[in-house]
Amino acid sequence: MEIATNFIPLNALDVTYLLVVGFIGGLVSGFIGSGGAFVLTPAMMSMGVPGIVAVASNICHKFPKALVGAIKRAKYGQVDVKLGLVLGVSAEAGVIYGAHIQESIHRAFGDAGSNLYVSLAFVIILGIIGSYVLWDAMKTRDSADNSEEKTARLARWVQSIHIPGTMVYFKSLNARVSVLFTIPLGFATGMLAATIAVGGFIGVPAMHYVLGAPSLMASASELVIAFVMGVGGTMKFAWSGLVDIRLAMIILAGSLFGIQLGAIGTTYVKPHMIKMVMGVIMVLVLVSRAIVIPVYLSELKLIEELAPHLPGALKNISFVVLIGALAAGAAIVFSALWRGISLQRREAALAGAPAAAFAPDVVATPAAAQLSPVGRFERFLLASDGSEYSAGAVREAVRMAGKCGARVHVVDIVAGGDTELDAMGEQFLARELNAARAHLDQIQRQAAAAGVACQSEATQANQIHQEIISQAEKTQADLIVMGRRGRHGLARLMVGPTTVRVIGHAPCNVLVVPRAAELVGRRFIVAADGSRYSDAAALTAARLAKLCHTPVTVVSVTLPVHSEERKREAHQIVNRLVSFLKQEGVDVEGKIPHGRADEMILQTANEKNADLIIMGSRGRTGLERVLLGSTSERVIDQTRCAVLVVK
Amino acid sequence: MTNTSLDLAGKQVTRAALFGLVSVVLYFLLYLFEDEILAFTSQGGWYFIAPVAVAFLFSFIHGNFTAHFWEVLGIKAKK
Repeated sequence: MEIATNFIPLNALDVTYLLVVGFIGGLVSGFIGSGGAFVLTPAMMSMGVPGIVAVASNICHKFPKALVGAIKRAKYGQVDVKLGLVLGVSAEAGVIYGAHIQESIHRAFGDAGSNLYVSLAFVIILGIIGSYVLWDAMKTRDSADNSEEKTARLARWVQSIHIPGTMVYFKSLNARVSVLFTIPLGFATGMLAATIAVGGFIGVPAMHYVLGAPSLMASASELVIAFVMGVGGTMKFAWSGLVDIRLAMIILAGSLFGIQLGAIGTTYVKPHMIKMVMGVIMVLVLVSRAIVIPVYLSELKLIEELAPHLPGALKNISFVVLIGALAAGAAIVFSALWRGISLQRREAALAGAPAAAFAPDVVATPAAAQLSPVGRFERFLLASDGSEYSAGAVREAVRMAGKCGARVHVVDIVAGGDTELDAMGEQFLARELNAARAHLDQIQRQAAAAGVACQSEATQANQIHQEIISQAEKTQADLIVMGRRGRHGLARLMVGPTTVRVIGHAPCNVLVVPRAAELVGRRFIVAADGSRYSDAAALTAARLAKLCHTPVTVVSVTLPVHSEERKREAHQIVNRLVSFLKQEGVDVEGKIPHGRADEMILQTANEKNADLIIMGSRGRTGLERVLLGSTSERVIDQTRCAVLVVK
Repeated sequence: MTNTSLDLAGKQVTRAALFGLVSVVLYFLLYLFEDEILAFTSQGGWYFIAPVAVAFLFSFIHGNFTAHFWEVLGIKAKK
C-alpha cells in the first residue's frame, strides 16, 4: 500500500525530535492547561510535513492529551467540567469562524497576508494579556500572602450581574454567571485557537480575571475546552483524510509523560506560579512573532525589501525564541516541582526524626523556680487542622513539650454553623469530625512515641479562633502552638485571620510555626521596641535560652524618619536588654539595624540563621489591631522560622 | 517500609509494567503496519472515526502507563 503524498517517511531523528518536543509541550500543558501546540506545528513543518497535515496531526494529539490531563487534574479537584464544556462548545463556534477569517485573508492577500495577520494577532493579544498576566504574577509573588488569590474586580462585577434565564452555577466560581458572558469568552478562545493554535492564552486568563475562577482551576478547566475543541478539530480534518496518525501518536507518546508531570507539579505550587509560567511563555512567544513581522511586511511590499539573507535569518531566530519560550516554561515547571518535592521530603523526614534537636539540659517541671507567667512552659495547647499548614506546629509542639516536660492538649476544630456547611448536611460534618479524630489519634501516637503526655479533642465551632481561646482558658495553657495558616471547613484556605485573632485575644503566649520551620536552638532573635511588651519578650527569651543553651540577638530597628534622640534611645533599649540577658547567663549580642522594621528583623533572622523570633504583644486585644498591616504581621507572614508572641 | 506500603508499591510496579507492555505492543504494531494504518485512517469521510478511535485507545493505555510510571519513580502529587 502506498503512502499518500501528504505523509512523509519518518526516520529515528524525526521520531526523537517529536518525542522530546511532545514531552516538553505536555509538561507545560499539564501545568497551565495549554501550550506546546505553537511549537509542534512549526516543528513538524520544519521536518517537511505540509502545513495543513501538521495542524491536523497536532490537533489529533491534543485532544487525547487534554483528556488525560483533565482526568488527572480532576483527581486533584481542580477541574470544573461544566465550565469547561460550556466554554468548549462556544469555542467550537469560534474555531469555525476563526478558520473562515483565516481563509478569507489567505484568498485576499496570500501566504504573506495570512502570516502577517497571525503574527499581528500574536503580538497584539499576547502583548496585552501576556504582559498583564506576567505583571500580576510578579505582584502576587511579591505580596505578603501569595497563597491566596483575590477575585478580580471585573470578575466580581460579572458575578454580580443577574440576567434572568441565562444564569448558570459554576463550582469553580462558587457563583452563578450569565452564559451571555461565557459565550463570547469561549468564542474568543476558539478564534485564538484557530489563529495561533493556543486558545488557552485567552481561555485561562478569561476564566480567571473575567469570570473569577482560581488560576489552578482555570488552567485545569482549560484542558476540558482543549479536549472539546480537539475532538471537533480532529473530526473535521480526519473527514478530509488529513490526519497523520503516526505523527499524532508519536507526539502523544512524549506528551503524556509530560502532562502527567505537569499536572503533578500543580499540586506543589502557589497559584501565582501558573500565571508566571503562562506570562513568561506568552511574552517570549510574542517576541518570537514580532521578529518575523518585517519579513511579511516586506513580502506585502508595505516596507522596503529586506536584504536577501535577512528573511531566512529572522525566521530562524524567531523559531529559536519560540523553542526558548517552551523551554523557559518547562524549566520553571521543573524547578517548582523539584523544590516542592524536596520540601515535602524534608518535612516528612523532620516528622519522622527523633526529637533530639531541641535539647535543653534542664527539664522544666512545675517544681522549677519559675514564677513569671511569661516564662512558664508547662501546658501547651496545640491547634491542628490536619492540613499541611499545621504539620510544623504539631512536630515542634511535640518536640518542645518533650524537652520542657510539658503536657499537650491538642484540638482539631471543625468549622460548622455556616450556611455552606448546613447545606452539606450532618453527614458531611460527621465525616469531617471523623477525619479530625483520625488525625488526632495520629498526633497522640506521635506524642506517645516522644514520651509526651497528650490528650486530644475534636470539636465543632462557628468561630475557630474563639474556640481555640476558650480551650486555652479551660486548660490554663501557658502556650498556644499553631500553624501560620489554617484550613477552614471545605479545605478552603483561610489565611491569617484565625492566627491573627488568636494572637490578639489569647490569654497566654502564642507560638506560630510555619510548616517547614525547625526549632533546633540555633539562635533566638528578640525584637525590642522599648515597650514593656518587649521586656516580657526578653524575659521569656532568657528562660528559653537558658533551657536550650541558645545564643540570643536583641534587635531594635531605627527608621529613616527617626530623630537622633530616638536612635540614641534604640541603643539604650538594646543595651538594657543585653545587660539583663547577660546577667541571666545568656550568650547575647545587640544589633541596631536601620531600615524598615519587618525587613530588618527578617534580615537579621536570616543572617543569623535563627530558628525563633520572639516578639512582645501589645496586649489582650490590641495586637489584632496592630497586627493587621503591622510589622508583627509582616514578620509572621514572611519568616521561615517560628515566631513566639509573648503576652 | 510497612507491609501495606510494600504491597501498594508492588501493585503500582505491576500496573506500570502491564500498561507499559501493552503500550509498547501498540506502538510496535503502529510501526509494523505503518503504511496500512496510515492509509486506513486517512481515507476521509466516515473513516474519520478511525484516527479518533486510535487516539482514544492510545490515550487510555499510554495515559495509564505514564501515570503509574511517575508514581513508581516516587513522583506523586502532594496530598
